[in-house]
Amino acid sequence: MEQDIQTWVNLAAYLGGGLSIGFGAIGAAIGEGYTASQANSAISRNPALAGDVFKSMLVGQAIAESASVFALVVAMILLFSNIPADSFVTVAAVFAAGLSMGFGAIGSGVGAGFPAGAACVGMVRQPSVSGKLTTNMLIGSAVCQTPSIFALVVSFILIFSDFGSYPLWPTWGAILGAGLAAGLSAIGSGIGGGIVAGASSEGIARQPAAVTPVTNIMLLGQAIAQTPAILGLLVAFILIFKEFGASDTIAPAMALLGSGLCMGIGGIGPGIGEGIASSGGVKWIARNEKDIGTLTRTMLVGMAVAESTAIYAMVISLVLIFVV
Amino acid sequence: MAIEGADLIKAAAFLGAGLSMGLGAIGPGVGEGMAAAKACEAIGRNPKEAGLLTRTMLVGQAVSESTGIYSLVVALLLLFVV
Amino acid sequence: MEELGKVYQLIIPLSGHKMVFNLDAIVYSWIVMLLILVFGVMATRKRGVIPNYMQVLGELFVSKLYALTEDALGEDMAKTYAPLVCALFMFLVLCNWIGIIPHLEEPTKDLNTPLSLGVMGFFIAHYVGIKTKGFKAYAKEYFEPFFIMAPLNIIGELAKIVSISFRLFGNIMGGAIIILVVSYLTYSILLPPFLNAFFGIFVGAIQAFVFTMLTVVYISVQAK
Repeated sequence: MEQDIQTWVNLAAYLGGGLSIGFGAIGAAIGEGYTASQANSAISRNPALAGDVFKSMLVGQAIAESASVFALVVAMILLFSNIPADSFVTVAAVFAAGLSMGFGAIGSGVGAGFPAGAACVGMVRQPSVSGKLTTNMLIGSAVCQTPSIFALVVSFILIFSDFGSYPLWPTWGAILGAGLAAGLSAIGSGIGGGIVAGASSEGIARQPAAVTPVTNIMLLGQAIAQTPAILGLLVAFILIFKEFGASDTIAPAMALLGSGLCMGIGGIGPGIGEGIASSGGVKWIARNEKDIGTLTRTMLVGMAVAESTAIYAMVISLVLIFVV
Repeated sequence: MAIEGADLIKAAAFLGAGLSMGLGAIGPGVGEGMAAAKACEAIGRNPKEAGLLTRTMLVGQAVSESTGIYSLVVALLLLFVV
Repeated sequence: MEELGKVYQLIIPLSGHKMVFNLDAIVYSWIVMLLILVFGVMATRKRGVIPNYMQVLGELFVSKLYALTEDALGEDMAKTYAPLVCALFMFLVLCNWIGIIPHLEEPTKDLNTPLSLGVMGFFIAHYVGIKTKGFKAYAKEYFEPFFIMAPLNIIGELAKIVSISFRLFGNIMGGAIIILVVSYLTYSILLPPFLNAFFGIFVGAIQAFVFTMLTVVYISVQAK
């Protein structure tokens, strides 16, 4: 039997590692491709600035890649480290770790492409502000990576925690749910944060004088667009750290798995929506700096309402964990 | 582990509740975001009408949220009635 | 990790029923109220043309929030509701900030606090709606666009309470649990101060503002 568990853990680790870098590669590839296409169209507009655009394209792509580098790290750990196999819960844990990081890297990779692309185009439009644009792009795409860092934290906890003393039913549902909650909910927030940062780079290129308010409101918008990822992290932490009594039916495990899925999938839409809402605000603050107060307020209210379905998803997840 | 019919139905109801609310949250989230972005654009063009535009945005968002609320209702029904 | 989700309760048996008081929420919200009272007294005690620090702070608060209410509700309603908005914002922001002091907890971490404030906002908004439009026009809105939609419209209105109060609760509770777990994992080295700054001060202020703004906006939607 001992041998048997080890085989299953290895199987889950290899499967998780493959899925981690497999899913994780999607986002970065899309983001970098978008950046490259924007850079090409920018260079064709003004070939004299090709050097600057090329440099900032490479920097932007390097940041967009960091999420999938995280996924690669998790995949390497899953493939090559010796994971102690003491119970079948570990099987779920290593698989969930791979899924969490794989899904979690998609959003940040796609998102970081938007500011990089907008910065390349903006640089050609306003060559004099290329320094400010690069700084803005760096800040924006660095903040985009936060959701993937959440997913990384969850997958490290899942790999290195000892779940040996926990009953297999229903803990495996909780563990798998935790990975899905953290990973899937990071997709929306990553893409949303990227949309905001892209709008801010575009706005600075249009109106270089407004660089300070635009950057501030961009950071505000990104912080709020990250709420779904934070709620996903919250549900994942509760699922990992709460102890569930052993059960001999399948319903509790399914409830915990369903709770993770609910928060994970439910976080995708609101994250993207909040990003779109905030990009509208940031874009128009750059054009109409006078009305920054009204615009910020409307943006905040709009984002808060766009978030409400994520809140309903959190309510259902908490009911599934604590009440049912 | 013996799997009985009632247990299986409970399990499916829980998983279904999670999926219902999760998938149902995607559309309204994106849609409400678009409404808010357009409201910001309109206020940027015409700041004098900010109050009217914010109210219109909220009413529109409330309508687009209704499908999310249907998912919430279905999820609660699955959890507590089935 | 045993602090996760622990609640201090005072349970008073009352002829077959039980009255349960969540002590944390009650004690800390009383502390917050006391702080606001002290601030109010200090800001208005020695008023003058050349204001002292406290008066400047108080004037800034009141005038900003008054202008905000006036934008959303119009001049005459702002007179009635600006004090409410002001008090709500100050209460919430202090409630969210008090948790960054060690050994104190945010009252908003307990669902009862945001939920009761949300229910309060809901009733005020609907009272305003009935008062300005008349009961008939108010009730008619529930049967738009068709007669059958009434139950769903009512659920939609009630869901606003859920979303407004759980938004605050989820953000503050989420921040608190994330700080707890990260402090536990890093043995409280390096990261917790930054997390406290982000979740306590920044997210706390933003969420207090969002809660206040949504209450105002719900009132204005009902009024028009």
